[in-house]
Amino acid sequence: MSCERAAEVQAYMDGELDAVAALAVEQHLEACADCRALRDQIAAMRGAIKSEARYYRPSADFAENLRETIGMDEVPAAPRGRMMGTRSFWTGAFGGFAATALAASLALFLWLPSAQEKLAGDLAAAHVRSLIGAHLIDVESSNHHVVKPWFAGRADISPPVADFAAQGFALAGGRLDYVDGKRAAVLVYRHGAHVVNVFVWKDDGSLGTGAADANGYHILTWKKGGLFFAAISDTGRDELRTLADLIRKNTQGQE
Amino acid sequence: MDERRRRFEQLVLPHLGAAYNLARWLAAREADDVTQEALLRAFRAFDGFRGGDAKAWLLAIVRNCHYTAAARTRKNVPLPEDADIASDAPDPECSAIDRDRARKLNRAIASLPDEFRETLVLREMEDLSYREIAEITGAPIGTVMSRLARARALLRERWTAETKETVP
Repeated sequence: MSCERAAEVQAYMDGELDAVAALAVEQHLEACADCRALRDQIAAMRGAIKSEARYYRPSADFAENLRETIGMDEVPAAPRGRMMGTRSFWTGAFGGFAATALAASLALFLWLPSAQEKLAGDLAAAHVRSLIGAHLIDVESSNHHVVKPWFAGRADISPPVADFAAQGFALAGGRLDYVDGKRAAVLVYRHGAHVVNVFVWKDDGSLGTGAADANGYHILTWKKGGLFFAAISDTGRDELRTLADLIRKNTQGQE
Repeated sequence: MDERRRRFEQLVLPHLGAAYNLARWLAAREADDVTQEALLRAFRAFDGFRGGDAKAWLLAIVRNCHYTAAARTRKNVPLPEDADIASDAPDPECSAIDRDRARKLNRAIASLPDEFRETLVLREMEDLSYREIAEITGAPIGTVMSRLARARALLRERWTAETKETVP
């Protein structure tokens, strides 16, 4: 019933194939109904899991206990048997010792990361998708007079578009994509052999900015002029920052 | 020591959410204990962590803590229960039908055998690569791929069955 190339199709859907192998799978998909069905099943299941399955988050009590516990300099090695399921051990032994400053700094890490982490994961997935699939560029041009109007009417924002070939970042074009449930305008730059995807959407204040890594890719996020920017690439972090600075300078409005 | 803790906060704690979610899908109600033990173990073992992928490192510890505890207590790994999932604060924006659909999906995921469930969670919720999943679960990449394929086929089967039951 299932095709002998099913494992390849799965690997393709999981972003594990290089561009050549991915192309071969895409060609096979056109010819094989079983594999098309498998592809659609994996995609449907993925969509359902992303939107409907529970992503559990620690309770406030739990986070508080953990803050207190790790907040201690020396963590005594408790007898094994007492480690699990002995709530009073934590609160009893360590309650009240928490350094509030540390607790506050930990809180940042405890509550921000889920959204940020999810964003980083989604960005990496979208980036990989753009590299292995055929869908890197919708409008192919290094001319911002072509790319910018293309976004008008398609995206709900107007991203700043400019070619920075002179600085080593050649504008390759643009496309529309979805990241974290948001419709994003994407600027595609080439830096040597590397592709940089710059996702832009309207800033809704829900996400912080900074640098992150996901699946070996560097990510840089920033805000300006009411827009949220997320640049991702396998190029070096310094290079990514250079491009970010160029784009930031080219963006109207407040940081 | 402060430097050590600061590095731990920077490198490891950002993955607490992922650690907790994995613990919850593996150990259900024991998730708090498993996560707490895992974080403490990670903190103690942190000197031995020589860079690399902190998320995979932490998730491997979570998984070990879970299986060690499960073996010690010799009880079957508890699955997320209906009542448990139903008690989650419902999103008022969601229709009853959506909630029902989501509950069935969660139940179908919870019903998967451990090795399939953990592989699926790592792949679809954490977006980890085969290599990272292999590292965390200690299985060869070929095994990760076949588990993933089985997990997907089983999940689809069970979810479809769940959904059909409601049709009169």
